[in-house]
Amino acid sequence: MEDLIVRYVSRIVVPFVQLFGLYVVFHGHLSPGGGFSGGAIIGASMILYALSFNLAAGTKKVSHDLSLILESSGGLIYAGVGLAAIFLGANFLGNKVAGIPLGTPGNLFSSGTIMIITLGVGIKVASTMITLFYSLIEGEQKTDEHC
Amino acid sequence: MSAAHHLPALAIVVPLVIAYLMPLFDRWRRGWCTPAALAALGFSFAASLVMAWQVMTHGPFSYQMGNWPPPWGIELYIDYLAVFTALTMTGVSLIVLVYGSRDLLHELKPHLLGWYYTLYLLLIASMVGMALTNDIFNLFVFVEICAIAACGIISIKESRECLEAAFKYLVLSALGSGCLLLAIALLYMVTGHLNFTFIAQALPEAMRLYPNNILAALALLLVGMGVKSALFPLHVWLPDAHSSAPSPSSAVLSGLVIKIYAVALLRILYQVFPDSIFEVTPVLTILLVMSSLAIIVGSMFAVVQEDIKKMLAYSSIAQIGYVFLGFSLMEISALTGGILHMFNHAMMKAMLFLAAGAFIYGTGVRRLSDLKGIGLTMPVPAAAFTIGALAMVGIPLTNGFISKWFLVLGALRGGQTFFAVVILISSLLNGFYYLPIIVNAYFGEPQGAVAEPKRLPRLMQAPLVILGFGCLLFGIFPSLIIGLASRAGQALLGM
Repeated sequence: MEDLIVRYVSRIVVPFVQLFGLYVVFHGHLSPGGGFSGGAIIGASMILYALSFNLAAGTKKVSHDLSLILESSGGLIYAGVGLAAIFLGANFLGNKVAGIPLGTPGNLFSSGTIMIITLGVGIKVASTMITLFYSLIEGEQKTDEHC
Repeated sequence: MSAAHHLPALAIVVPLVIAYLMPLFDRWRRGWCTPAALAALGFSFAASLVMAWQVMTHGPFSYQMGNWPPPWGIELYIDYLAVFTALTMTGVSLIVLVYGSRDLLHELKPHLLGWYYTLYLLLIASMVGMALTNDIFNLFVFVEICAIAACGIISIKESRECLEAAFKYLVLSALGSGCLLLAIALLYMVTGHLNFTFIAQALPEAMRLYPNNILAALALLLVGMGVKSALFPLHVWLPDAHSSAPSPSSAVLSGLVIKIYAVALLRILYQVFPDSIFEVTPVLTILLVMSSLAIIVGSMFAVVQEDIKKMLAYSSIAQIGYVFLGFSLMEISALTGGILHMFNHAMMKAMLFLAAGAFIYGTGVRRLSDLKGIGLTMPVPAAAFTIGALAMVGIPLTNGFISKWFLVLGALRGGQTFFAVVILISSLLNGFYYLPIIVNAYFGEPQGAVAEPKRLPRLMQAPLVILGFGCLLFGIFPSLIIGLASRAGQALLGM
């Protein structure tokens, strides 16, 4: 599918969509939204890119290996934050009790581990959406070859 | 605070972390996959053992996630039932995984092995979580993880029948999850709490104000957990799903997954709902009728099966009926029997499925009538199958006898002789379909592929030997495990 308008518009829109996604992820502890919604926005921007150009262009930006690493690391960040609290002497996922500075409420860098956890969730959701999309497309291509 | 203090959280988190690492290992360090998966489950099992020891010596204790006290934070509550269930889940799944590490090499495409371990570890971690958690929404999250992981390990073979079975399971278990979520929402609406202990405190008052909400929640809960644990009229997904999956998957699905939902239902019924609910609604009677039907009808379906794994799957429907029967008789011996049967059936059904998997691995034969003389050519799996079958029937010296003994004792003590008769009839039916297989296996003339089976790797023989030994051990020395089971029952009945 070659469509100049779609390509041009998506090329302009994608950076803004991603920026908004990052905004939602990073303000997860302050405003509505958070890891899941922000991650979904970022993932959707990559899907839009791959749809309006083609799969090869999409995989060039985010390769299968990269999305694999991101997917695993998102979950590992969450678990790692929880385990770090245990090493700091609190219970699993402890925040203030583990001695992590909370900062001023309302500031971007506040709330201790919540922000890191939201970031982990955002990475996980974004990469999962991309992987799901790739898997669907690749599955379709494989069945096409069979037919 | 020692490291042992954190074991409840670590028993769940370590398999989860390894599950996340597995795709990376699969991509770059394929050799690490199997040892890492075994190590994670081994850790969980060891943690469960230590927790069991702590509970037996110091009594139940709780663990607060992030040091948030219960009404706000998620609480793990480690009592007798929780450690009993966690031990069953981690112990049996560890043994099954040892078998699976060899069996899966021929059942799956090589690039799927790492993903299989991911799903398997997620499944076990979620079941341990369901056993330990004291928070009803946390329970729901684990139920969802468990449902999706279970669908994954059924469909991973990518054959037509696997996909069909997995889809059926996915739809029905999504229905169950939906019911469960609604039930949780209704309970939260009337009590304002998600923690079991706090809901239990708020419910007697709420019962008076909003009786209909609570009845609806109870009904939805019964249907949701009933679908997921394949209680008789809601069992339709089970035979296909459990018979078409790879053998290690069948073993954990039949042996463990359907039990954990029964345990969750048991915990909510006895610990969350007030005792007066049993007077207002005939919920226990409903469960008794459904479980008796499951016991009889499941066995009758199993009799007519030709496929060995299908027969075992139908037998699971009957066996989950025993577990529910024990749970709903409201009598301490029966409850102990039900809890004990959960463990015993997990061991014997896992062993039977693994033995069936070994037959299929060695000969490729699935039809029961073609397995003549298998006892002469594949002695180890056939011996395991024999022990498992005898335990299913409930022959003394096997663990199946002990749990059935407790169930019958409970039924008689509770003055409900009818259910003792149901158990006896079902035992006869069990004998009716298991014993001919054994007779055929040892006295038939091996033909075709059965005469010259592939050699079974040692790693696939060892789990069968361990499980068979375990069935006999807990049959001859049942006191090893009865103490924990009966204390769990006493705690639930408030004795």
